[in-house]
This record gives sequence, C-alpha cells and structure tokens, in this order.
Amino acid sequence: MSSLRTESLVDVTMPQMGVSVAEGTVVAWRVAVGDRIEAEQTICDISTDKIDTEVPAPATGVVAELLVDVDQTVEVGVVMARIATGDGAAGAPAETQPAPAAAASAQTQPAPAAAVSAEGEPTAAVAAAGAPAAGPGRGDAPGRRYSPVVSRIAAEHGVDLSAVRGTGRGGRVRKQDVLAVVNGNGHAAAAEEPPLHIESPYRPDPPAAPRAPAAPAVVADGGLSRMRRQIGQHMKRSLDTAATCTTWAEVDMSRVQAARRTLGVTALAFVARATIDALREHPALNAWLDGDDYTRCEDVNLGIAVSLGDDGLIVPVIHRAHELSVEGLAARIKDIARRARSRELTADDVQGGTFTITNPGQFGSIMATPIINLPQVGILDLEAIVKRPVVVTDADGNDSIAIRPMTILGLSWDHRALDGALSAQFLATVRRRLEDLPA
Amino acid sequence: MAVMTYLQAISAALRDELRADERVLMMGEDIGVFGGAFKVTDGFAAEFGTDRVMDTPLAESAIIGCAVGAAVVGMRPVCEMQFADFISCGFDQLVNVAGKMHYRQGLAVPIVVRLPSGGGFSGGPFHSQNPEALFMHSPGIKVVAPSTAEDAKGLLHAAIHDPNPVCFMEHKHLYRRVKGEVPDGVFETPFSARVARSGSDLVVIAYGAMVDVALAATEDLEGASIEVLDLRSLVPLDEAAILDSVARCSKVVIVDEANMTCAAGAQVAALVAEKAFEDLDGPVVRVATPDVPIPFSPPLEQAVLPGVDRVKEACRELLAY
Amino acid sequence: MATETAQAAGSTAPASGHEHLRLEDRIWLLRAMLLMRGIEERAMSLYRQGKVPGSFYDGFGQEAVSAGAAFAMAPEDRLCILHRDLAAHLIRGVTPVRILSQYMGRAAGITRGRDGNVHFGDRSLGCVGMVSMLPDMMLVATGMAMAFKLRGERRCALTWFGDGSTSRGDFHEAMNWAGVQKLPVVFILENNQYAYSTPLDKQFAVDPVERAAAYGFTGVTVDGNDAEAMFDATREARQRAIDGRGPTLIEAVTMRMHGHAAHDDMKYVPKEQVEEWRRRDPVERQERRLRELDVDVDALRAEVAAAIDTAATEALAGPMPTPDDVLEGVFCAGEAEPLGDGQAPWSGFAAAGGGA
Repeated sequence: MSSLRTESLVDVTMPQMGVSVAEGTVVAWRVAVGDRIEAEQTICDISTDKIDTEVPAPATGVVAELLVDVDQTVEVGVVMARIATGDGAAGAPAETQPAPAAAASAQTQPAPAAAVSAEGEPTAAVAAAGAPAAGPGRGDAPGRRYSPVVSRIAAEHGVDLSAVRGTGRGGRVRKQDVLAVVNGNGHAAAAEEPPLHIESPYRPDPPAAPRAPAAPAVVADGGLSRMRRQIGQHMKRSLDTAATCTTWAEVDMSRVQAARRTLGVTALAFVARATIDALREHPALNAWLDGDDYTRCEDVNLGIAVSLGDDGLIVPVIHRAHELSVEGLAARIKDIARRARSRELTADDVQGGTFTITNPGQFGSIMATPIINLPQVGILDLEAIVKRPVVVTDADGNDSIAIRPMTILGLSWDHRALDGALSAQFLATVRRRLEDLPA
Repeated sequence: MAVMTYLQAISAALRDELRADERVLMMGEDIGVFGGAFKVTDGFAAEFGTDRVMDTPLAESAIIGCAVGAAVVGMRPVCEMQFADFISCGFDQLVNVAGKMHYRQGLAVPIVVRLPSGGGFSGGPFHSQNPEALFMHSPGIKVVAPSTAEDAKGLLHAAIHDPNPVCFMEHKHLYRRVKGEVPDGVFETPFSARVARSGSDLVVIAYGAMVDVALAATEDLEGASIEVLDLRSLVPLDEAAILDSVARCSKVVIVDEANMTCAAGAQVAALVAEKAFEDLDGPVVRVATPDVPIPFSPPLEQAVLPGVDRVKEACRELLAY
Repeated sequence: MATETAQAAGSTAPASGHEHLRLEDRIWLLRAMLLMRGIEERAMSLYRQGKVPGSFYDGFGQEAVSAGAAFAMAPEDRLCILHRDLAAHLIRGVTPVRILSQYMGRAAGITRGRDGNVHFGDRSLGCVGMVSMLPDMMLVATGMAMAFKLRGERRCALTWFGDGSTSRGDFHEAMNWAGVQKLPVVFILENNQYAYSTPLDKQFAVDPVERAAAYGFTGVTVDGNDAEAMFDATREARQRAIDGRGPTLIEAVTMRMHGHAAHDDMKYVPKEQVEEWRRRDPVERQERRLRELDVDVDALRAEVAAAIDTAATEALAGPMPTPDDVLEGVFCAGEAEPLGDGQAPWSGFAAAGGGA
C-alpha cells in the first residue's frame, strides 16, 4: 500500500529566494502528514537570510512526508516534504489522521481503510507518521515506508520494522536489512539476546561533559530567533569580508524640512533622492564587490532597511529607484515598509539592491556605524534630525549663530572598493543636494 | 559443435530445414540470387532453386498473405522482411488473417516471419525498429528473439516446426558481433526464458541485443550479484522464469531496445507488479528507448538507445535503494 | 441436402442443351441458389426476431455469382468465399443447419460462435474463411495457388471480392504476384455496383477487368446474374489455371439488391436501378430455363423450403456456445492439418474421374 503511493509523490523543495541565497530554514509547517493540501496552499513558512516567506504546495494531494524539522536549515533544492498525488493520495488520510478525522475519511473512503488493517506491518509504520517531527534516516522516522518484500518478511518472522536499521537510501530498510535481523545479525534492538551469566548490564559512564561557565540569570526565551541568527550571520560575514570604514557629514536639513511639509513626505525620501543623485554622480559607490569581482551597476536599486521590531530587520529593494521622484520614492518606501511588516514581500522585493539606506534615527540617536549590506559597497545611515545652534554665513560673508535642523549622515564604505576621498566627495554631494533643495 | 556467428547460425538453420523438409520454402525480397540484404540466404538459390528460395515482388502484404495461403495447403513458408520495419506493410495479413485463423476456424497457419530488427548502426527511422510488441498485442502470433548463436538456430528450428505464425526477431546488430558454439544438426530451443547469468541481488530482464548489454553492464557492479534473464520468447512469455528470478532477487531492471511505451518490458513490469508484488524490494525499473523514432546520426542514435552505461546506472540506483 | 432429388430429376436426362452442364447440373445450380435465398430470408427473419446477434449481410440478387463459380471447382481446389457467396458454401457441402447456427452464434455454427454470420469457411471442405478486409483473401488464394504450382499439382484456387476491393493495395499485390508467377488462381470480381454506399464512379476510373491485361493475364466480363454463364467462365478460367496458363480475372456484373447490411435502407440507390435489376433476378432466370425443360421447379422449391424449415428448427434448438473454452485455440497445439477437400457436384468431375 505504501509502495503504491510512491508512484505519484511530488517533492516540495527549499526554494531559491534570491540569487545569493544558498539555504533556508523551516519556520513552521502549516500541515501534518496525512493532511490534504491543495496546490498553491501554503505548506510551510521558511526563513532565508533575505526574506521570510510562505512556500506554496506544488500539487494537490495528501502530505506524505515532512522531511525537515522546524528550525532546521537546509540547502536550496533540498526536499522538505512530499505530497502524494493521484490514487495513492486518496488512501492517505485514513491511515494517518487521528481518530476523529479518520472517522470522517473512512465514511468516504472505506476501501483504503480496510486495506490498512489487512496489511498489518505497514499500518504501524505509516501510523507512526502522525507526528511530523524527525527527518529521514532515524530509526523510527515518520513516513518511513517499507517495500512489499520487506513487509512480507517482517510479517512472516514477526520483525518489528521500526527497530530495524535501514542501510538503503535515506535509511530505507532494505530486504537485506530485514533478512539480517531474521538471520540474527541485524541491528534490531528488539532482537537483542538475553544476557549470559558473565554479562552485566554495566556500561562505563560516558566522559563528563565540560562544565558550562557560570551564567548570569537569564530569561529563558529559547535563544535567538531564526531571523536574529540570520541577521547576525549576515552582519558578521560583512564585517569579516569588507574593509569597512565610516565617514560622517553634518547636514543642514532646513530646506528638506520645509519641502517635506509642502509635499507631505518623510525626510528619508529626500535623502534617498539625494543619495541616488550622488550615486549617479559617483557611480563607484553604486556597485557590487564579490571577492575580486567588482561590478558597477547601471540602475540604482535602492535598499531601504525596515525594522520589524523585536523580530529584526529586512531590506526590501526599490528597483530602478533613479526613475522615481521624491514623491514616488516616498510612496514606494511606505509600500515596502508596510509589506515588510505584514510579511508580504516576495523574493524579488529583496533582491538586486545596489546601495542601502538605513534610518534608525527616530529614537533620537545621532550617529551610527552601519554595516555594509554585501555585496554592495556602501550604506548610508540617516539618524535623527535635531535642532542645533550652528554658525551660518550669509551671502556677504557675515557669520552668525542660527538654530538649524541638523542631521549627521554616516556612510560606511568598503575600503576594498574605494578610498576615503571618494566617500567624502559622495557625502558632500548628498549634503549639497539636501541643503540646496529649491526652496 | 561448431563456432558460428549469429548470422551463420540463422543461415544454418534455414539450410538444414530446406534440406530436411520439402515443405519448407523461403519467400522474400532479394533473397534468391542475391542472397538477401544480409546474406542470410547466400548460396541458397544455387542449392535449392529459386522456387524454394523465392525472390518475390516488393510487396510485404503479399509475402505474408501468400505465405498464409501456402501454409494452409501444407507448406512451411519462411518469410523474410528485408527490415523488420517493413512489417508495417504486411501488418494486416499477419494480424488479421494469420493471427486469427486458428481461433476462428481451427485452421493452423505454420509460417515464420523473419524480422531483422534493431538499431545501433545509423539505420535511421525506417531500418532500426523493434516492432515485436505490436505482435505481442495481437493474439495468435508467437514472438521469439534470440540473443545467442545457439538460440538463434534452435529457436528458428522450433519456429519452423511450430504450427503457428511465429515472428522471429533477429537482431541485425548481433549478426556478426555475436559468435558462439552451436550444436550440430537440427535441434529445437524451447520458447522459454534462459538465465544468462545467475545472481541474487538484482535481476536484469532483457531479450535480443539487450542481453549482451545487460551482461556487460552488470559484469562488475561493486561486487553485487546480478542475475540476467534472457527472455528468448515474448509470446509465450515465460512467466514462471520471470517470477522465479524476481522472487530470488527482489529488485528488477527491465531493458528493452524498443520504444518504452507498451514495449515487451512493460508487459514484464506489469506481470511483476501483479504477481510478484510481495517479492519486490524496490520499484520496477525500466530502461528502454524513449518514444521517439530512431534518429540517424550516431550521437543522436546513441543518445536514445539503451547502452551499457544507462543499464549500469539503473542497476546502481536500484541496488542503493 | 436433398441430393437424391437432383439425381432423380437429372441423372437420366440427356444433354440439356448446354455443352458442359447436364440437366442435373442445371437443377443443382437452381437448388443452390434457392437454398441460398431461402436460408438468407430465414436468417433475416430470425434477425428481425432478435435471434441473430450483430448485423446481418446477405447476397440477395447475387446468388448466381457464387453458385455458378463454385460449381466449376473440383474437390481438391481451394476457395476463399466472401459474404455474399453463400451458394458456394452450400455447393462445397456446408449444411443449412450449420449456416443458420453460425448466423445465430450457436455452438453448432461453423466457427462455434467465434466469428459472426458470414465470416466462415469450413476447412474440412477446402475453404478458408474470409476476413473483413475483403481483398486480403486474394493474397491467400494467390499463396495457395503458388503452393500448387510449386508442387506441380493440377489444382486451382479461387476467391471472390467486390468492386470496393479493387481500390486496396492487396488487390494490386495479388494480381501482380499471380501475374508474375503465372499462378493457377481465379479472381472473381463481384461487381455489385456499390461498396456499402459508394458507387462505382467513386471507386475506379477504369473498369477493373481491363487491369487484368496490365498484370499480364486474361480478364473477362460475365453477366453475374446468369449462373450458367458464371459456370462457363469459371470452368474456362479453371482450365486455364490448371493448364499452367495463369490466372484469370472474371468480372461478374450484378447488383446488390439489399442494403450493405440489415440496418441499411439503401436510400442512396435509385429506385429505377433496383427495378431494372429485379427484372434480371438470377433465381428466376434459372427457374425459367428449367421450366422450359419441364423440370418440376415447384417441387424443388418445396423441397428446399422444407429443408430450411427443418434446419431452422434444429438450429434454434441448438445450444449457444459456453465460454468454458473461449480462451483456447488461439494457437494450434498439435499438428497443422491442411485443408480438406470439398464436395464438387458437377457431373463433369465425376465423368473425368476427379477434378484433374
């Protein structure tokens, strides 16, 4: 019976969520083994270093196997689950659902249910698949299926197949494995012989584990979230890879403040526009550096870091941002931020950035040293705009002290790709564009 | 015992039959004076005359139809299709007239249709086919396909002695490549399977030219014990031998040179699924030519015909399962 | 069959005004045609009563074609008989009860229920049953003739086929092969004007009898509604064949007076055409001849009708086949038995001491 279902299994694989994404983590399974699932229905949530997303089922059928644990990280392309389609799918619910659901299934599908009881050993094996926990290769792996000959030999010799170690692909129990148990040289725990007189159950203690250092009292919240871990890995990789330098420039935001009140947009949109202009003027910063491979990008695909509160941070990308006005940029920033927070971003939304702006300044901080979002070579940090007394010089060259809305832009740049002079020129361009906005 | 090529064994069987039985008659295109496209009947016309080694008009339907007529009045015609592919032109006579005759009216039709079949030598789409499954699907026609010189002779004798229409699939690629000891005189090889090599971990089921491929592919598979079952006869199909091999080996690879869909191997696979289910320790694996006409150019042809590497890979995969 | 009547009526009669047919022979021809018509009418009646499965085909109006031709064939000759040629079966010796049983799919039918209505040939009487691809049998007949020639036997093979068959490749292949090898075979083209519903002008551009010359042998056209003319032409063709002068194509011009099968109302045939051919009915023509020779045709008719009644009663009482052995016999398990010899009632064979 279980063999029949192998005929029409559709794999659900870890998707490629961006060119550079190599792996992903299962955040949650939305289904259990035995559940019926429609094509396009969400089968699980995954998290990659670019994005968290839902994975739609590639086919309609019955969930036959869940092969990846929650929180397990696997490479792109790895099979995470299998969906049984076609005839085999019809029988699955009756095998695997807990009692109430099984009763419902049995009403409509009496034949498969009968087949289950008639087959004996496979029933137990399949029934064990109820809990979608362990992956393949474990002794009593859920969804573990046995070939007809293995089932028959096991039934004939009373072998508990769940205790037989499989040597086939993915830990599959093969004919020789069950025959080895029958012939007394297999790996079944149940087949252990009773101890002889000289045999004591004594076993040496395992070597003591090294003692953990004394830890401060902690809140037991289960450690880092997947996203946190991924952000951490990503950031650490950047610091380990790039030659990161940070340059600051102080900018008078008077014109920006005046203009944003007129247009009803955030200062970030003006900074974004000024940054884009500066990138056009200094294209060396609108680039990727991957190892020794340095590529200047034609388009400005502007990444905007969006905080997801305690969960972390994501960087959706405004593609071809150079084609957008300040108002257009403002609208797009608003849109991607909303979608990021409601977890609606697609893979395309997080791919292809050529430069990033981060804007954590709403809490009043004034300076930061942002970490470059590799393979980009620069990231601009916009902090709080605060009123300060500054020396201003009028057209006649007379100095005076004035109160001006000031901000400090921080540019982290990769010294592998460029030098300090260029970063300073770039920042100067951004400042000039912001300060010289038409009134 | 004499060592003969597959081709010589076929010629020898025909010559023996012509000498032994005056009812035996060869009919085909260019088989008389010329000796046949593959020289199977070379020298026959001189020894037996052109009446008994007959150059017929270029008309496959007529060759089969006239053979049926001659057979029902007591002859033992052996027809040669110049290439097995050309049987499409004689299909109606073979399937509708010859195949149904005995069932309908108790009238036996003892004819043999020799079908030089198979590819591997840039014959292209009309000189490379393996049409045997068409006749497996047509009641009343026996189908045999030898892989060795000895079986080529023994099966041909048995086919000529058989009171029914028999399609004798002789693989062109084996004609001069296969050589072996052949017993002297007239002997019959039964229409049953033969264990070409016994084994216990996996059985490769094949016939015709694919038997050699199967043997070569499984000669050394990391020490695995691989059985090769040579079907020899497709109708009747030796169910007992197939089921016996599967019961012992539990893993089955079936190789056809024919196009995959509904090939002889598909019938074997169905048989195994139905009657050996509880002996299986893995999926029934098939290696066959994809459902395309056989292309001409060597790299294209080699890409579609099952070769040693594909069979090897299929066996490795299944062994690891 | 009431062979005795024929002998009583004809054995003492002098030459009847026909060079090769004695009076008894001419009565035989009428009897064969009356039996054919009577059996087919009864079978049609049984068909309408729901006793005949499948469809029903007859040769109404074409009786002379098979009667005249078959009557010229010797016991050792071999025939491939088509579905509008029932008289040939009767002349070879197939009894009416077996024919009616055959129509009804009964166990006593010639094929024991394995094939339908007119698809049969009694191998013990030297006949090979037809297949539905009608000109196929031309090749089988050619092959039989080939064997006769190879073995140096003075025998011939004969087959019928229709105007539609002339369009098929097997017609050409057989005509060509027989011409090339100068085989003792007689081809009877039963030109009954329609292949199912397709008239002649959609079947061929040249009268097929003219094609015989193209294949290197004789072609003759005969009034297919005259049994004695059919006999004469076939007798000559057979003589030509066994003398080693090659095949003959006889085009028997006739008319299919019923539809292609029982379901066919033949509305595609002009009424005038049917009326014209009705006046040329072959049974009535032979009856007129015999009445002029003072033969008691009414008695013959009564005898035939009684024989058919008896046969129908017996056939209806016969069992249907059981499926016990339905899977058996696909292959011949023992020795291949060649065809047997049929009856050959023509007095000419008896006079010659056999067919040759």
